[in-house]
Parts: sequence; structure tokens; C-alpha cells
Amino acid sequence: MSRTHRTRVIGSTALALSLLATGCGTSGPGGGDALQVWALEDAAVNEIVERGIEAHNASHDVPAELVTFVNDAYKQRLQVALGSPNAPDVFFNWGGGNLAQYTDQGQVLDLTPTLDDNPGFRDAFLPSVLDVAAIDGAYYGVPLLGVQPVVMYYNKPVLEAAGLQPPRTLDDLHEAIELLQSDGVTPIVLPGAQGWTQLMWFSYLVDRIGGPDVFQAVVDEEEDAWRHPAVLEALATCQDLVDRGAFGSNFTSIDYDNGSASALLATGESAMFLMGSWDIAQQMDNNPGFVENDELGFTSFPVVEGGAGDPDAIVGNPSNYFSVNSDSQHAEAATDFLVETMASEEYVDELIRAGQVPAVEGIEDQLQESDHAEFATFTHQLVSGAPTFTQSWDQALAPAAAEAMLTNLQLLFIGDITPEEFAEDMEQQR
Amino acid sequence: MRNSATERPGLLWVAPALLFFGLFGLAPVVIVGYLSLTSWSGIGSPEWVGLANWSALTNDGRVRGGLTITLTLTALCWATQTPLALAFGVWAAGPQRVRAVVSAVFFLPLLLSTAAIALVWKALLDPSFGIPSQVREWFELSHSNVLGDPTLALYAIVFILLWQFLPFHMLLYQAAARQIPRSLHEAAELDGASALQRFLRVTVPQLRHTIIASSVLMLVGSMTYFETVLLLTAGGPGNATRILPLHMYNQGFVAFEMGYASAIAVLLVVLGTGLSLAVVRATGYSRMTSQREGM
Amino acid sequence: MASRSRPAYAAGAGAALWLLVVCVPLYYLVATSLRGPGDYLSRGPLSLPESLTLDNYRNVFEVGFLGFLANSLIVAAGAILLVLLVAVPAAFAIVRGRSRAVRISFTLFLLGLAVPAQAVIIPIYLIITRLHLYDSLPAIILPTAAFTLPISIVVLTSSLRDVPGELYEAMALDGAATWQVFLRLVLPLSRPGVVTVAIFVGLNAWNNFIFPLVLTQSESNRVLPLGLWAFQTQYGTDVPGLMAAVVLSTIPILALYLFGRRHLLGGLAAGFGK
Repeated sequence: MSRTHRTRVIGSTALALSLLATGCGTSGPGGGDALQVWALEDAAVNEIVERGIEAHNASHDVPAELVTFVNDAYKQRLQVALGSPNAPDVFFNWGGGNLAQYTDQGQVLDLTPTLDDNPGFRDAFLPSVLDVAAIDGAYYGVPLLGVQPVVMYYNKPVLEAAGLQPPRTLDDLHEAIELLQSDGVTPIVLPGAQGWTQLMWFSYLVDRIGGPDVFQAVVDEEEDAWRHPAVLEALATCQDLVDRGAFGSNFTSIDYDNGSASALLATGESAMFLMGSWDIAQQMDNNPGFVENDELGFTSFPVVEGGAGDPDAIVGNPSNYFSVNSDSQHAEAATDFLVETMASEEYVDELIRAGQVPAVEGIEDQLQESDHAEFATFTHQLVSGAPTFTQSWDQALAPAAAEAMLTNLQLLFIGDITPEEFAEDMEQQR
Repeated sequence: MRNSATERPGLLWVAPALLFFGLFGLAPVVIVGYLSLTSWSGIGSPEWVGLANWSALTNDGRVRGGLTITLTLTALCWATQTPLALAFGVWAAGPQRVRAVVSAVFFLPLLLSTAAIALVWKALLDPSFGIPSQVREWFELSHSNVLGDPTLALYAIVFILLWQFLPFHMLLYQAAARQIPRSLHEAAELDGASALQRFLRVTVPQLRHTIIASSVLMLVGSMTYFETVLLLTAGGPGNATRILPLHMYNQGFVAFEMGYASAIAVLLVVLGTGLSLAVVRATGYSRMTSQREGM
Repeated sequence: MASRSRPAYAAGAGAALWLLVVCVPLYYLVATSLRGPGDYLSRGPLSLPESLTLDNYRNVFEVGFLGFLANSLIVAAGAILLVLLVAVPAAFAIVRGRSRAVRISFTLFLLGLAVPAQAVIIPIYLIITRLHLYDSLPAIILPTAAFTLPISIVVLTSSLRDVPGELYEAMALDGAATWQVFLRLVLPLSRPGVVTVAIFVGLNAWNNFIFPLVLTQSESNRVLPLGLWAFQTQYGTDVPGLMAAVVLSTIPILALYLFGRRHLLGGLAAGFGK
């Protein structure tokens, strides 16, 4: 075989490869002269951030640029990108434990000096929400979206027909479960195909029974934190609710993502639904009549009699946060962008118009004008009046522990494991 | 240089394919072994931890459970797909026109991607708006829970995989059955063999290579069940359908324990490769390949 | 031939039953894709749609379906091209080559048949990120092509073995160089194998889920199966829309089935022997 043959075959392969590489789009985001801002894909919100970016770009040398990702993939992408040349300058995160993962690796810029230099900016935010981005006393993120506490939705006509008030205590709830079942209604819709919906029940019950310190001990990975009596009692209460028939017989295959849970509440097949405040948008889109006819009610999570928790404490997603990559070549431009945009009147107004409740003080009047003023005001009051805002445990815990917890919760809800077995397994994961 | 004996194409003609397959097909098998001895979160560089992942693996009940579910699922899929594909394939090989039309319809699921099939069935099996809710009304059942029921979920997956893969294997049998010399059937008929006897004594033995090929493909293909399970139940309820590839995926890309996930992956490679090679060896399939050079 | 007997009837009855099992989900798929949103929630899953609407299809186009379709086509074409570029010369060498190295490499490919792609997704992910190909279409094309390569080589090898040795010898007597043999003899004669391989690789690339799932991220690089999945989580409430997207994603393969069924069948039969 002569030399020309060799170069031809190899050359043609290389050519094909390079054609493919150039013909098929870029080799990933990142790098370059622009300020890369990474966020989750969300048409309405992306547009608002995009406008903030446009305003910023009009007056700055380093143009910012928004890159968006789907939910399931995002954390994985960010994990890989941070510490690589493809890293973003500003990135979306969930605060708390999720953010701590990146601060532990020294990849997040400490924003405390920036906040101290701009006290007006710092004080604009609701403290319980800003605190979620504080790690070891330093601030690493600023709220980017509205607050999303978990609230108890209910179907007003269904409760009325059963002669019931929205439950204010666990005992009320027990009574409602019994009465509603005799009316042929599934008392509570629980989209248990996904573990995080069961987590809402568990984490609220832990907070009501044992207060916020129980959660903190778990997040701090303290010895025996999962064996705390409040954790065990909360788990037992969850199983008790299942046994009472609170969630009906189908809950393990009801899916939140396909909207069936929200539809079951709207159609009156179910009476109550514990879900994040984002579900209001779902209801307005898919079951507009249900909302417009004032049939959708909402209230806070019931109190557990004798529990150590504050009745006003809440659980959910305090907000999402923008943080700055400590390796960013445009760190100054990035912090400028955050300070100028995230609490600006335009940005807050746009968020409200998009149906969000921003984590910002003194916006009661604007909320009155929003699409669903009653719900927005309720949410804002709930968060402003909350002594603590416990972040969703699956966001707060390290990914491995969160994954194990969600699976174990599913097992607990179908009765495969006992609260003690749950605690033992989680202690071993720790 | 120019005599016919030396004009044979040499290694260079294979080199591009070999390099390419080496990089993306064989190197990963070596790298996964290395990664299984490290701790790696996906950020930064893997850290050497020796056999820590492997000792954790032996204590992980979910790995044992996952292994059991994987083998159960594979066995159930083989046991449902093989007889049906064989029967329908032979049936479809008949010359009748109606059989051709019907088998063309049977073939349709093959046109849908795995993701599409999983999404259609997920909607179809929805407890509130799918078929189960109707069936519940008709028969007054106590629940309409299929994918959320620890026992039914696995059977539902077996059924959906049957729906998806039956046509492919049926096609193999149909093509092979058409090549059985008619004279064999005629001879058996002259001996007074009934149709069932002919099926068992002529058709099945004649199709034995196809049965082996189809079974090997099912074994190798059982790894792709991962996608169906991920989309339908994500391993739930609880761990009821958490097959080993899904456990690996969750450990790697949800929990970011890539080192540990790699240890599970090594187990999967050994299992997948080992099983297929064992079947090949036990059935003399490699002899057949070298004779026929066919898959 | 003897008259029809009981087993034939049993198989016929079984076939009729399976026909129903195949058709019900397909009916559900098409019917749901034509339903209005209220119709879906209020009427049963298998009822006749109250009125037909194409709105769902329009919505699907509005959420970027064409982009996903284009990406899927590029990935399929890229994988087919890449596999053929390296596999045809390799198969030629394996059939005509005499060296030990060639024989060993054939054994390597045969071994590769058994390596499950899913199981080595983590190292592939590592390799792709280190090559800075992460979140690009080549990130999907390269591993897809690599994992369809062993079967492709086996199929091409078996189709080239059918070429009578005299043809090669005749060309050698004419003084043709190896590359001329390849161009003038091997390429034309390997066409049936090439079609089979193209269909096999193309289908594989078209349906692949895990490579795009793990190796790409942004919407601009999203392929169809992933697009369907994203559609479910983002617009999940819209089941009719999802079904419309599924129907649309099937059309290219349906066209192939209608116009190239013979190739598909013939290819599979050739590839598998008896």
C-alpha cells in the first residue's frame, strides 16, 4: 500500500469529522467576550430576564447573554460546566444546599461586600428569602424569581357540600378525611408518582411538630438527625394519613407533570391539594372556570396540636437565585448587572405581571393589580409573616441524600418501610 | 507490488474504523473500570479511592434489588416475546394476502421511537384519564392504579416492551420461515404429520438459528429497557421497577456519585457482555456466524 | 398442501387479538391528537372525539418542533455517513485482507457487539466533555456511530463475502490497484449491505434517547425523542399536544416504511441469514 492511499483514507475521515463538527452547530456555550447568564427554561420569566439584559447591554461594554436549559438537565450541566472553560458568569440556582455544593468547591463569588456597598439593594429583599442564599454568614446569591411557598389549595364547593371549613389543625384534617370519603370524594390529591410531592407533606409535618431546627440538623449532617423524634412522628403521620385513605388508592400513579392532579382538584374529584404556589398558573391556564368562579380556595398548612413549630412557618421554594462564578473574567460586570437589575422597579413590575410574587418588600399595592390579586397578596403575606422559610429538602440536601430521601419517601408512602427503617437508611447514607 | 497476491487491503483500511470504535466503544470500557475506583462528582478531577465504591456496592440493597428486577424483567420479556414472535412470524410467513396486511399493521409500533411509545402508554395508563379509569368503571374495581402499583408496574412494562419489540422479532421469524424449503413440509406431510407436529418438528428446528439470534438480541437489547422504565415509572413506585441501569443513571446523573455509578456500570458491562457471550458459546452461535457471517 | 388446521386457526385468532392490542393505542394516539383540551379531560380516552381540531399540531410547530426534526435528521445523516465511511473500507479489508492484524480487529468488533452502550454512558460523557464536544450534535453522532459500527461491519462483511473471488482476480489481472478495486468493484457491489446499514444506523440514531439526554443540554441541540420528553414536562398538561408531537415525529419513519419496506425486510433478512 502506498503512502497516498493512507492519507486519502485517513484524510477523508478527518474531513468528514470536521465537516460534521462545523456543520452541526456550536460546541457548547461559554467562553468568549460576553457575560454568560444561565437560567432554567421558562418562557415567561426568560423574557423578563432577557429585557433586563437588554437594558444592561445598552449601557455597558460587556454584553450579557442568556442561555437556558430544561429543568431535569440543568443541575447536571452546571455541575459539569463550573470549573471548565465553558462555565457561565452568572448562574441560576436554588440557594441553600444546592448553592453550598458550589461554594464548597470555591466556585461562587462572595456577594456580601456588594450588598454592604448597596444597602438599598440589600434591604429591598424579604429577609427570610435572602437568607436562604447565605452560607456561613456570607451571601452568595440574590433572589431572581418570585417566592413559591407550598400552600393548601381546596375546592370550595366540595368542602361546603360536606359542611366543612378548610382544616386549621391536623384533627380538623382527620375529620375532613372521614367526611369527604363518605361523600365519595378523594380527600386529598397527591401526585405520588413523584417523590417530591410526598416530601411536601413530610417537611411541613416535621416543621409543625419539631420546628425548623430539625431540618437544619439534617442539612448540617448532624449525627442522628434523621432519628429525631419529630422526623419519626412526621413519617408516622404520613403513613397514618395514607391508612386513613386521605390520598385515595391511586396516588402512586398520579403524575404532577401531566396536570392530572390539578385537574382532579378542579373537577371536584378531590377536595384538597398541597402544592407549590406555582400551581395557580396551572389552574388558570387549564381550568380557568374553576379560578374565575371563585371555587379555588387556599390556606396555610394545618397546625399540629402540641407541636413545637410556629404555625406561621412555611416550607417551599423561597426563590431561585442568581450567583456569580468566582472564576468569571467579568465578575464586576456580573455584580453590576445583578445590582442594577434584580430589584429594579421594571424587573419587579414585570415579574408581578407574569404572575410571580417577587421576594421584595413593599409591593402590596402592585400585587393588588396583578392577575390573581387575592392569591398573590395571600402569598406575599404568608412569606412576609413567616418566621422561617424552610427550603424544599431535596434542594437543600446533597444530591445523593436527596435522591435516597425521595425514594425512601415513596417506599414509606406505599407502606414498604417503617419510619424507623427510613431513618436508619438515611443515617447510613449520611 | 502489482501481483494479485500482494494487492490485498491491509490494516490501514480497517484503521479508521478501529480507531473510532476504540475511542468511543472500547476505551469507555477501560475508563469505566478506572472511574469505579475513584470518587467523582462530575466537577473537577476524579479522586482515587481504591475499592471503596466496590465495598459500598456489596452492601447496597438497591443494587441487589436492581439486579433481581433487571433479570426478572429480561426473563419475562424473553418469555413473552419469543413464543409470540415465533408464532406470529411463522403465521405471517404464509402466502395469504390477509396475513401480509395484518402483519404490516403489526409492524407499526416499530415506527415509533422508544420515547414516543413510553409517552403514549403513560398517557394511556393514567389512573384518572386513561384506560384504567374506564376499566374501573366497567368492572367496579377498587382502584385504577397500574404504573403506581408495585406489582402491576413491572408487568405493565413487560407488556409495553412486548408491544414495542414483538414486531421486530416477528419480522426475523417471518423472513426465516419463508426460507424453509417447502419440500421439508411436504415430506413431513407425507409421513402423516399434523400441522402442529410439522410446526414443532420442521419449523422450530429449522428456525433454531433465528431463535438464538433473536434471543441474543433480546439480551443485548435489554439494556435499552432503561429508557422505557425511566420515562414510565422512573423506577417507582419506590424501588419496584428500579432496574440496575436506572440505578446507575440515578447514582451518576441525579446523585452525582459518578465513581459509585461507574462501579455499577462495570457490573452491567460484565453482566451484559457475559450473558451474551455465554449464550453465544452455549449455543454455538459463533460457529454459525463464522459460517454465515450474518448477525 | 393440507387444509388449514387447528394451529393455524389458533394463530389466526391470536393474531386478531394482537391486532386489537396494536390498534387501540394507535387509535388513542391519533384520536387524542385531534381532540380539543376540554374534550380530552371530559370524555373517555377511547371515545370518538367530539369535534376534530388541528390546533394541537399548530401548537407543536410553535414550540420548535421543526428545529428538533432538523437536529434529528442531521444526527441520523451524520451517523450514517460516518459509519459508512469507516465501515465499508473495513469490511473490504476483512473480507479480502490476509493479515493477522485484520483478523484480530474483526474479532474486536465482534466482541464490541456485546458492549451495552447504556452501561458505559459515564465514560462516554467524560470523553465527550474532554473533547469539548459537550452539548453539540457531534456529541450525539460520534457515540451513536461507534455503537452501531460493529453490527454494520458484520452486515457489510457478509454482503461482500457473496462477491465471487473471480471478480477480484479479474481486476487484479487487469492491474488494478487496491483503491481501484474498492471504488469500481466493492462500492457498487456492497450496495444492498449499505442500504441495510444505513437503515439500521439511521433508526438507531433517530430513536436514541440516552446519548442526547446525557450529552446535550440546550434547546438548539435538542433532538426529537428528547423534544417529546421536554414537551411532556413543560407543557405536560397538554396531552393532546403531546400526542400530536408524537404523530409528527413518526411521519418520516412512516414514509420510509411505506416506500422502503422491501429494503427494510430484505436488509434484515440478509443481515440475519436463516
